Amino acid sequence: MTPGVRRGVFLAGMAAVLAFFLWGLVGLPGFGHYPGPYGDVLNAIGIRQTHATDIVSAVNFDYRAMDTLGEEFILFAAATGMGVVLRHLREERERSAVDEARDRTDPGTSEAVRVAAITFTGPTVVVGWYIVSHGQVSPGGGFQGGVILATAFAMIYLAGEFLALKRISPVPLADAVEAVGAASFAIIGISALGVGAAFLANVLPLGHMPGEVDSAGTIALISFFVGIEVTAAFVVVASEFLEQTLIVRRH
Amino acid sequence: MRTLLPLAVAVPLLVAAGLSAASAAFQRRNRWALDGLAILTAAAVTAMLMALTVGAGSAQVYWFGGFRPAHGVALGIDFVASPLSAGLAAFAGLLVTAAMVFSWRYFERVSTFYHALMLVFLAGMAGFCLTGDVFDLFVFFEVMGVAAYALTAYRTEERGPLQGALNFAITNSVGAYLSLAGIALVYGRTGALNMAQVGRALAGHRPDGLVVVSFVLIVVGLLVKASIVPFHFWTADAEAVAPSPVCVLFSGAMVELGLYGVARVYWSMFGSALGHRGAISSTLLALGAATAVVGALFCFRQRHLKRILAFSTISHAGMFLMGVALLTPLGLAGAAIYVVGHGLVKGALFLCTGIVLHRLRSINETWLHGRGRRLPVTGAVYILAGLGLADLPPFATYLGKGYIEESGYSHGMAWVTAVLIITSILVGGAVLRAGGGVFWGLGDAPSEDPRMAAEASEEHSETEEGRGRTPLSMVLPPLVLVALAVAVGLLPHLGSVVQAAAVRFQDQGAYNATVLSGARVLHAQAPQPPEPTGITIADVATGVGSAAGAAVLALVSLYWRRLPLLRRGLEPGLGLVGPIRRFQSGVVTDYVTWIVLGLAVIGGALALSIR
Repeated sequence: MTPGVRRGVFLAGMAAVLAFFLWGLVGLPGFGHYPGPYGDVLNAIGIRQTHATDIVSAVNFDYRAMDTLGEEFILFAAATGMGVVLRHLREERERSAVDEARDRTDPGTSEAVRVAAITFTGPTVVVGWYIVSHGQVSPGGGFQGGVILATAFAMIYLAGEFLALKRISPVPLADAVEAVGAASFAIIGISALGVGAAFLANVLPLGHMPGEVDSAGTIALISFFVGIEVTAAFVVVASEFLEQTLIVRRH
Repeated sequence: MRTLLPLAVAVPLLVAAGLSAASAAFQRRNRWALDGLAILTAAAVTAMLMALTVGAGSAQVYWFGGFRPAHGVALGIDFVASPLSAGLAAFAGLLVTAAMVFSWRYFERVSTFYHALMLVFLAGMAGFCLTGDVFDLFVFFEVMGVAAYALTAYRTEERGPLQGALNFAITNSVGAYLSLAGIALVYGRTGALNMAQVGRALAGHRPDGLVVVSFVLIVVGLLVKASIVPFHFWTADAEAVAPSPVCVLFSGAMVELGLYGVARVYWSMFGSALGHRGAISSTLLALGAATAVVGALFCFRQRHLKRILAFSTISHAGMFLMGVALLTPLGLAGAAIYVVGHGLVKGALFLCTGIVLHRLRSINETWLHGRGRRLPVTGAVYILAGLGLADLPPFATYLGKGYIEESGYSHGMAWVTAVLIITSILVGGAVLRAGGGVFWGLGDAPSEDPRMAAEASEEHSETEEGRGRTPLSMVLPPLVLVALAVAVGLLPHLGSVVQAAAVRFQDQGAYNATVLSGARVLHAQAPQPPEPTGITIADVATGVGSAAGAAVLALVSLYWRRLPLLRRGLEPGLGLVGPIRRFQSGVVTDYVTWIVLGLAVIGGALALSIR
């Protein structure tokens, strides 16, 4: 197809698809008319059953934990696939990045960026850690907290050098941590079978009170390992990309 | 027994993560441990799924976390092992095992990436077959998708694999988004994601726009994976460049899983609500027939051994869809048997192609002409598998195709038989032509079309260096697969057993009761009555006829230039080069445009006929 034809066909098709989609959308219940029953049931029994005051986390890591296990391994496969695509190739050799535009002078990292990044690294770790470990009681959890934790590593890259980032988080180590995080989720699921419960059942003590940090049993534990896996996966992906652009050049 | 359901998915995932975590331990010296562990895991998962298939009885339901449904409301996610779903998963496991054995000596330089991704892929396929929850279906659709994209790009030294993987990833992601939109719509209506619960909520109401739109969106997303025209473009691009053992899985299991998804979603969620209308059956039949014919024509014109097989897969996916689209138990049973027979012989063909690439370092039919005589065993297996692909009895393929034809014929659709025979002859002819030319040096080398040749010579060896001999671990898997294809075809009572499983699959009421109230339904009943499954003269005759036709077509195209004909300049199928180049452009925006167009046409057709 030539670009013109393609655009024409696409727009015509898209118009039809949109009309079709709208026809479906008008069949949805009106705003504020939740048809139930899923949310209603969970709101009624969720806290009692799981001791998690964040029902979203209860759904993610308990009621529908199997979905989350799958999603965790989507991330795992994506990071592994990144390793496949960006790994060192035979005809590539390592060298430091050189600005290809010769008449451009390297401005260096400005002090402002450096100070800001150093200042925020510590608080980012604390916030990320908080979000990871409090998913069961307030909005958050491993996925969100993991991404925040990973940005701490990005800050280190901004503040210092890529090589500093590489030293504190070498890709093989991050790879292994990521795999351990993913494996732990599966192990938690299988352990429940060991005590005679169903796969991924919440077999740990639920704690005294909903809303306490030590409540909600496996929800907190799974959230923790998801946090580890997500942090490591993002570090792997970012490091692989940086490595590809900053160190590895085609020979 | 029930505990096997979660383990079939959790074990490969755990081993994949474990291999990855311990990748430092699997250095070159410990290759055997890495391969051994991966093969063992795949074999164990296959055994578990086999046990579930045989022992499933009516159906085994497993609720994760122990959240059993109360008052018809499912809070958690369930896996359901019925003979058809667990059987398909077991078949995927078998192919993964064969591919892993083949890969042992195939790749020289392998890190844990490959094994981990293959095991995640296996877990994704098993989960996709077993799940009883439509969002979980989407999650496993993505699990197998992401693993498959990465495996396609495995040989990153070249540009081709990256591009093929990119086209594959983008088209399948578009499909996934469409499915997700459909799932969101139906959730908005029913407040449920469990397929049985959605089916119960939708049944008994007139199907309105929302039901039709969500059905079409979910199905189109799955049809992208199933490589149905006009959503099929990624298949040839991806299978041309992916490593041969990975192609075995794409061709033999993943594409078929897309069709399984269509059947699953239809027979558990939408069937009763849409009322099993003729419009749905005819729309899917038309898509299937178009796919079968287009795939077969394109297949015949290829000179690139893997592209021949890829287009043959597209063509066969069309034939399977026709079996599913009949909405009869015998049609579905025929499709199921055909899927197994096809997957076995197609797996053998891809592995033989891998051996050719390993030993002769090319994949171009013209260049290879006669050069394959050095590989007599591989050649014999290839030709045998080619005959199996052309539905020669007693390969299981003839039985599957025969059932689809019978069911079509008894419902007044004799044209189904015609389409299936013609496409089988074309596809089988293409494969036998390639096999006869490459391995036996029959006839003349096909004339070189420069543009096609450029495509075929892009392919370089997947291995470090060509070898003096083929390792046993590479010869054995294709041999076993071909032998199994014959063995399955000879199983007594296969037809009646599979049809009974199909009846159960199509009984939405029984499925609902089993999942939502744990009932044991002893006598399932499908909307259409079962049909006789005795092997008739017609089954054998059409099978033999297709295979003979394919052989004749292969010989004619090999000896074309020596025939006393008027127009020697023309070669069969030459007129197809233009269309192939035009449609199979490799430009992913074209492919996405086709998806949009296909969605518009299917949506329009169903909107007009159902509303």
